[in-house]
Amino acid sequence: MKYKIPSFIFLLLALSFKSNAFDFCNNRGIEKHTVLQNGRLKPLKVHATETLKYLTGKSKFNGINAVTTYCRLSFSNFYPPKETLIFPLIEHVTIKEKLEILPTDKFTFEELEENRSTLMLLKKDAVEGGSLDKAINKILNYIRIYRDITSGNNWTVPATSYGSIEDMEPISNLFNVTPKDSYARASDILNSELNARQIKFNQNFPNKAEFEFFYTNLKLPLLSMLLTLLAIAFLVARKTITVGLIFTALTVTAQTLLLIFRVYISERAPVTNMYETVLFSGYAGLLMAVVIGHFKKEKMFLLIGLGYNLLSIFMLNFSGGMLSASIGPLVPVLRDNFWLSTHVTSIIASYGALALSWVMANIVLVKSRFSTIDNKEINHYSDIMYSCLKYGVSLLAGGIILGGVWADYSWGRFWGWDPKETWSLIVLCIYMIILHGRYTNWITNKRFVPFTAVAFLSVMMAWFGVNYILASGLHSYGFSEGGAIFLGIFFSAQLILLAVTTPKLLKA
Amino acid sequence: MKSFTKIEKYIGSLKFAIILISLFTIAMIIGTFFESYYGTDFANRTVYKTVPFMLIQFMMGISILYAAYLRLPPKKRLYGFYTIHAGLILIIGGSVVTYIAGIDGNITLPPLSPKREIKLNEDIFKVTNLDTKEVTTYDLPNTAFEKVLNAKNGDLTLENYLPYSDKTLKWVQPSNKIEKHNSSQYFLSNDNVSEKFILSLHPEAFEFKSNLKLGPLNIHYLPTAIAPCFGKKSESKIILWDSVHKNCFTPEEQKLKIQTTETGKRFLVLKSNQTLYSFFPELSPFPLDKDLNVMKDSPFRIFSKKVFEKDPNLFLFGEKVAYFSEDRWVVEEFDGRTPLPLPWMGFEIILTQHEESKIPAYVPVYNMPIQKNNKLIAGTNKAIKVNALRKKYWIRDDQSITLRVRGEKLKLELEKKSLRLPYEVSLTRFKMDTDPGTNSPASYESFIQLFTKEGPSDHHLFMNNPLKYEGLTFYQASYFDTGQGQYGSVLSVNYDPGRPIKYLGSLLLTLGSFWHFYLRRKKTSKKEINSKAIKVTA
Repeated sequence: MKYKIPSFIFLLLALSFKSNAFDFCNNRGIEKHTVLQNGRLKPLKVHATETLKYLTGKSKFNGINAVTTYCRLSFSNFYPPKETLIFPLIEHVTIKEKLEILPTDKFTFEELEENRSTLMLLKKDAVEGGSLDKAINKILNYIRIYRDITSGNNWTVPATSYGSIEDMEPISNLFNVTPKDSYARASDILNSELNARQIKFNQNFPNKAEFEFFYTNLKLPLLSMLLTLLAIAFLVARKTITVGLIFTALTVTAQTLLLIFRVYISERAPVTNMYETVLFSGYAGLLMAVVIGHFKKEKMFLLIGLGYNLLSIFMLNFSGGMLSASIGPLVPVLRDNFWLSTHVTSIIASYGALALSWVMANIVLVKSRFSTIDNKEINHYSDIMYSCLKYGVSLLAGGIILGGVWADYSWGRFWGWDPKETWSLIVLCIYMIILHGRYTNWITNKRFVPFTAVAFLSVMMAWFGVNYILASGLHSYGFSEGGAIFLGIFFSAQLILLAVTTPKLLKA
Repeated sequence: MKSFTKIEKYIGSLKFAIILISLFTIAMIIGTFFESYYGTDFANRTVYKTVPFMLIQFMMGISILYAAYLRLPPKKRLYGFYTIHAGLILIIGGSVVTYIAGIDGNITLPPLSPKREIKLNEDIFKVTNLDTKEVTTYDLPNTAFEKVLNAKNGDLTLENYLPYSDKTLKWVQPSNKIEKHNSSQYFLSNDNVSEKFILSLHPEAFEFKSNLKLGPLNIHYLPTAIAPCFGKKSESKIILWDSVHKNCFTPEEQKLKIQTTETGKRFLVLKSNQTLYSFFPELSPFPLDKDLNVMKDSPFRIFSKKVFEKDPNLFLFGEKVAYFSEDRWVVEEFDGRTPLPLPWMGFEIILTQHEESKIPAYVPVYNMPIQKNNKLIAGTNKAIKVNALRKKYWIRDDQSITLRVRGEKLKLELEKKSLRLPYEVSLTRFKMDTDPGTNSPASYESFIQLFTKEGPSDHHLFMNNPLKYEGLTFYQASYFDTGQGQYGSVLSVNYDPGRPIKYLGSLLLTLGSFWHFYLRRKKTSKKEINSKAIKVTA
């Protein structure tokens, strides 16, 4: 209540200054407007948020949302804002040093542009394709995009011809007809013009941008994470299993919707970039855990399924630039929904199943070190891990074969020792070693636990490592940056945990 | 006999299988890292296509076979196991068939020019007798490192083979010593740009020219003996060059009269040994004889400095330099490595090397390949050293050479093995669609025409839609810009007789694992199987 009174007075004041107090940029109506960017139509909200997030690493600027900020930047050459709106995200230490950016500094894009020659000089000495080179390329791209936005060319609006969806023009074209002296009057003119164009555009072309706007506002990744957390909490507390089950069902529903919406928007199987594979593996893992848990009447499956789903969806929400939620165009060879939805989904689902065994293994490891565990329990958990491995391994083998058939069909060879396919075979072989080893006295149930935990590192290598560390070969789509550090942390954390816990487990 | 059974049991045992799979896995891990650092071809040559790696796979096949054999006669609970292992054997068998009888190559199609050569992956050394059109080839080994072959091929001996090499500049003795055919290396620079270049007059230094264009600047490399004439005062600004005696003179020195034609062209006539040479200095360096034919073999050449006064022209004569600046010709001499200033845009020139007896040559030197951004940036060339009647020549995959050996003209090439199709393939059109509003490709499509005995036929190829024709399959693999606004297409061409075997194996493997893991569970509990399985291996 306290806050409402002043804002009410402010509103009255604002209204008393006639109707020209309307601010085009600070107007939720524009969020739904369609833009053509990166090869597809999308709502301005998605484009503005993705672009500014890429440039600055943030999605709120002094409490002002991305769309309004993006809009004000697009207007800045014509109706300059009072203050600098955004600051670039510069992470590379060498670049920071060269540009003399102090931690407290607010370094602007204009300053970045002035230092372009410094960057070019630095690039000359950088190893081609190295991390500095990539970072400089990224910053040069920043400068390009920032200039594109501030000149009013980045924001595309429907042109008045409506011949094809490509008939778009930069918003700067409209500034020719707006009054130069008054932003408020320009706001009115632009608003009615763009709304009219948008309505016409929507009549002429089937346009999923509005739906995508709705989808973005649902914030399903965040909701799913919350539901997963609640489900785990209620399941762990022994008396509320039913509530836990309900929340599990809600999690599955939310994620199913998330996937369906993405499929509807992108018109392809939801496994085409790192973001989607992480999402799908968590989902597939959870689904398998629910089904196996149901038939085996074993709560543990549910817990490890939810546990893994929580980890993957946590990554989606908080990994920053490493996993981009952006829906972009695919390289031509991947544009085959039949193979995408069979080969890639079965591989990613297999990663989900193998991840379940990995979660279980780590639970046993931690439990054996910091709590107590007897042989009976170990055998029981080993059986659970074995079940997960079974599904994982057969899905993986099936997926590899499907991949071979697809490769044969579109490249003319069944197998080509491409790093991605070789690593998936390495994963299969490593799990084969464990499964065969279980039949000998080399891998007892106790040894099975650390082996399963460490084997998952090969999955991480095949999944992330090939893209982030090896980064070459035919599967070089979807390669994104910054993952090498994540992978390094993941590997060392797992190995440290093994070193700490394994001796006690084997002695027990 | 007992020990034989023991060996059989060991080969079919789980422990042996584990050892083999482990070796296989380690080799693959090494292979992927090699691939990442040194490129696909290097990984193939050091891991994937090597005998030890294939031996591991062969042993895995044997082990799988024995594992199944030892568990005969068939037991119902092992049906899934048999099926998986049969599937694996078939996949390995199919791969062997593909390896032995398959064809995997590519065909490069510039627009509208029919082709029938398929390039395969194997490297060969090819000798073509240009007189008899006879072709002999030698298969080069699948090695990743320098290898001395010592293989005879007629009069030629193949010596060092370098699968990865880079050209390195070396100053070598020419096989034919020709007097006064200098070679020099210069370094030209100003504050913004710098360029190192080599110029040579020696005919054996065929990779180096005697003139060069750097932006607006033309550089000419001339014999040292002509340098003094550039500095000589001469009304006519004409220099005559006697290539037999290697000396120069001006018309004024020889009292030659310069005349003008009716159209205003200058000409002069030189008489030497009863021959008359008529020169038109502004038109050609060569004289005309009395029948007005161009005398390309004339010992005399003419040179009009006037022609070179307008644009920046730099004349280099080994240790001397000449240029036109501020209405006069300047001739200067290099003083060691001190830079000489030039009259254009603050340029300076340094003579870094000058040789009168040696010639520059790009000699291939073995270099480990390095891959960056899917491209090799080191070790990019293959090269082979050939000994032809005691003379040694380097042949690179990007440069063939032609020799005369015992009167026969031979063309020596280092290239990929090729295969001739019984029909011609022509690219009528290459189409690349882009995503709306961007330049990123959305599809690659080739419109192909096959010219067969039955007449031409049209086909449309694109990603995920290959063309199958008489056992061969053509796939859209790549494309290239011809530089004239048109695109050429690269198709991969493939013949795989092992395909049905591999597919059958894959099917069995999938069905088998389903059978093994999910169906039999209903009848026996897992623990029982475990104990039984252990008994089998024990």
